[in-house]
Amino acid sequence: MDETADKTGYATLEESAQTSVEQSDTELVTKASRGDESAFEELFNRHRRRVALIASRFFRRPEQIEEIVQESFTKAYFALGDFSNQQETSFASWLARISFNTCYDELRRLKRRPESSMSEVSEEEASWLKEQLRVEGAAGNIESAVVARDLASKLLSRLSPEDRLVLIMLDVEGLSVSEIAGLTGWSISKVKVRAHRARASLRRVLDRFL
Amino acid sequence: MAGKKSSRESDERLDLLGHEIIRASASNEEEAERASASPFLYTRLRSRIAAEIERREEGERWFTILKVVWRAVPAMALVAILAITLFLSTTFSSRTSNGFSDEALLGERGTEVESVVFADTRNISNDDVLATVINEDDQEASR
Repeated sequence: MDETADKTGYATLEESAQTSVEQSDTELVTKASRGDESAFEELFNRHRRRVALIASRFFRRPEQIEEIVQESFTKAYFALGDFSNQQETSFASWLARISFNTCYDELRRLKRRPESSMSEVSEEEASWLKEQLRVEGAAGNIESAVVARDLASKLLSRLSPEDRLVLIMLDVEGLSVSEIAGLTGWSISKVKVRAHRARASLRRVLDRFL
Repeated sequence: MAGKKSSRESDERLDLLGHEIIRASASNEEEAERASASPFLYTRLRSRIAAEIERREEGERWFTILKVVWRAVPAMALVAILAITLFLSTTFSSRTSNGFSDEALLGERGTEVESVVFADTRNISNDDVLATVINEDDQEASR
């Protein structure tokens, strides 16, 4: 009798554990918006890597990435009610939108700060850049170069936050124009125009050093 | 024509280089991994949320006070207007009633004249009353 009860109890525990594992994001959001902290922690653990990855597209230092992760989840926490009201999007894409907007805000904040002045491209980096352009197919190996990331950061800091956002969404995240429009809240035509201008700006920046 | 073509080729190469530069700048998977695996990240997030809640409550408290004040201002203005109106009307009506009183006509300081006037009109002696009664009786008797 006791054994049966034990077995039944074990089965119930196992079932509840399985249910908690299989809980969807939407269910967790509902629970979190009612004040369930463990549900919010579960959401955080599920999505923090993705948010950190988005932040790492724009910022290099780990403390900057952490800041974006915290800010994004704080915004998400206070907007959980908004997500519950619009059931058509997934939590992941909703959170991605918040993260991109947080990165965009941070880029704009950094641009406004006078102390975050753009560092100059050295002679060595400029000649390296010329070499990349001159040698056919060398651009494909740019990622493996040690100087590439430093130089890339210096060059991209010369672009406006909007240009940077659009270019990263297009070239790194591989998002379509309509997806970018959905994430940023801009119209499709605005995204197209912005992308065109962003490419022209980047071309001008590169041309200056070549 | 040839210049245009070479310019387009140059643009294409710059675009390609730009594309690779963007990809290079965004390839920070290691940093992302390190940041997301940072210890006490959730604890710090919770404390940030708690601080934000406190900040919002503080803001809401001020907002509530401002709202109460904002609502109280018209009510207080209305009360003030009513009080002023009441005061003015009372003053005006008292002035108006004074204008037709005997005191206003005679002046507050002319008490002697006033008493004389009232003495003439009001003080009827017992003899006068008696004389009037007798006169009336005589008239009836003569009829």
